[in-house]
Amino acid sequence: MTSLSRLALVAAASLMLMSSTAMAQQKTFNIWWFEDPVSSEGIAWTKALDEFKSKHPDVTVNFQQKTFQQLQASGSMILNSDQAPDVLEYNKGNATAGLVSSQGLLTNLDDYVTKEGWDKILNSGDLVLSKYDDKGIYGSGHVWGISVYGEYVSCFYNIDMFDKAGLKVPTTIDEWVADMDAFKKQGITPLALGAIDTSGQHLLASLAYTKADDTWIQNYQGLKAPLDGAPYLYAAQTLVDWVGKGYISKDSTGMKDPDAALLFTSGKAPMYVSGTWNLGNFASTIKDFKWGQFVIPTPKYSVGSTGNLWVVPKGAKNPDLAAEWISLTLSPKYQTELANDGGVAIAADPATITNPVGKNAAAVFKQISDKNGLGFYPDWPVPGYYDVLNQKDTGLFQGTLTPEQFVDQIKKVYDDAQANQ
Amino acid sequence: MAAAQGALATHRRAYYLYLIPGAVGFLLIVLIPQIANFFLSFTVWKGIGLPRWAGLQNYQRLITDDQFWGSMIHTVLLIFSMTVIPVLIGLVLAALLFDYVRDQWGEQVSSFFRAGFYLPQILPVTTAGVLWGWILSPIGVVNIILKSLGLGVIAQNWIGDATYAIWAVSLMIVWIQVGYCLVVFMAGLSRIDPSLYEAAELDGAGWWQRLFSITVPMLAPEIFVVVLTTLIAALKVFAPVFVLTAGGPDNATLVPSYLTYYHFFTTQRVGYAAAIAVVQTILTIVLATIFLRFQSRQQATE
Repeated sequence: MTSLSRLALVAAASLMLMSSTAMAQQKTFNIWWFEDPVSSEGIAWTKALDEFKSKHPDVTVNFQQKTFQQLQASGSMILNSDQAPDVLEYNKGNATAGLVSSQGLLTNLDDYVTKEGWDKILNSGDLVLSKYDDKGIYGSGHVWGISVYGEYVSCFYNIDMFDKAGLKVPTTIDEWVADMDAFKKQGITPLALGAIDTSGQHLLASLAYTKADDTWIQNYQGLKAPLDGAPYLYAAQTLVDWVGKGYISKDSTGMKDPDAALLFTSGKAPMYVSGTWNLGNFASTIKDFKWGQFVIPTPKYSVGSTGNLWVVPKGAKNPDLAAEWISLTLSPKYQTELANDGGVAIAADPATITNPVGKNAAAVFKQISDKNGLGFYPDWPVPGYYDVLNQKDTGLFQGTLTPEQFVDQIKKVYDDAQANQ
Repeated sequence: MAAAQGALATHRRAYYLYLIPGAVGFLLIVLIPQIANFFLSFTVWKGIGLPRWAGLQNYQRLITDDQFWGSMIHTVLLIFSMTVIPVLIGLVLAALLFDYVRDQWGEQVSSFFRAGFYLPQILPVTTAGVLWGWILSPIGVVNIILKSLGLGVIAQNWIGDATYAIWAVSLMIVWIQVGYCLVVFMAGLSRIDPSLYEAAELDGAGWWQRLFSITVPMLAPEIFVVVLTTLIAALKVFAPVFVLTAGGPDNATLVPSYLTYYHFFTTQRVGYAAAIAVVQTILTIVLATIFLRFQSRQQATE
């Protein structure tokens, strides 16, 4: 036994010695993100990382591709361990970035904002989701993360099918309904939807936001009062009406977003409501027809936000390098690159963008952002609300929940969280 | 004999050494997390920071939680698709392959089918789930075939309609489980004296008679093992639900493990998730104990 334990000690000590000398010789910089390699962000950041590597030949740069689910499920535990990287992409919002910042797991970036000049590139609206107070609520407090792109939910539409049917891009909800009715009369189900995934709740929220004013959005996203269900009731009634009229298939409750997106990209459905994260995929897979996007007609608020954040974990060994990386992805070169890859650039000069998809997306985002119309996502205020909305909206689409029951049930969960925050 | 046993006794301490790796593993992976989980179930905790003592609050919430009770009812249904049906199908298929297919077409054909039925056990559940998702989707293979055969009336929204979703999940589970039952039963069959079958055949017993009078009683030990393991698996089923329906639509396929996962990772009610896990563990232990008692009594009477 004693000889055995001595052996183990020697082995452990020599291991430690080896690893510490290795560290002294070579500086390592660990970076993670979860954007898909073929997404606009993935493409632009991979190019930026090559430049970063060549600028720092003395640093070993380790990149790891993560998935959204991985960080969603265990992000806080990873940040709480010594396995955390130097910089990583992290989901924005109270329940994610807010939570880990309030637990002291992130590096405060206040000094870098001025030192690196990020405040000159990003306007105050672009920094709303970078700031979290000591309770982890967004909007005020220190800067804990930086977003370098935007995203919004809009309606993708098949321009060829619209032209063939002689229809125009709608500017009001009524015009939108008229377009859908025209398609339905031709025997085409106009709106593809994957109710198991996000597109169900994004359509729901897009409709609810058309009835939302500043107070409602602030109360809703800030968990400031029990839920005022009126906008959701309108949205739920509208959707039930649309399912009844055949604008949306009842089968959507058995479909995931990729299935619904396929109905759109294969030219079977003329419209699909979803987020700008589809742009890269659509640009590369749709070859047979022209397509575009229009913002769902709304007085002010759209479902959308600045993108996910670059955050620097508390234990990061190279915060200066991390800040340099963030600046690189914010630089005009890589903002233009992002837009040319079809992404939603937050700070690109439109004149330099050659890709029409990226050019349009940057313009639409600026238009929403300039009127302070980013209403954020409906699942943000309450941890786990994403699943609640998914489960309940499938009930609505398949007809087992009435709009009133639907609102009652989502209100119960919201009010429970609001009372116990 | 006595001398050998004496030597064994003196060396006994040395043998304990070999238990250490297993014991350490058990302690780290089973016992400590189990105890920690038990204590967490009495706290409010977000997964990071310090847990706050909450007494029986989580359990009170559990009693009135419709989602929890709904998930328990689904578990009862899944015991059928995880245990009862696969054991029955497994028995018949094993007997068929063993004494009919092998006699008629030879060992290779029988092995081919055995491997085929076992394949779903080897396939990662996530892969299988994606495939089943495509098959059962409203625009999937099943509905396309039904419609092309003019049977469009039967085509349903299999995983998106609360009426069918739990059966769709069950179908995938049966498909996964049959192979496991089959392989264990076939191993058991090879141990049964063939002269029993020959004697029964000479006495004029038919195939089904031989199945119920010889195969089933002789396979009793294997059946007990398979029923116990699949019963435990049914109580903690997670992956097929997670990949196929994510508990939906409107919680129609929710199971306790998924509810635990949901509260642990997304609502960050770690204490509440722990309470669900505790109830699940107790239920599993109680059922397994009753079952093992029953089994040992059964064997004692034989």
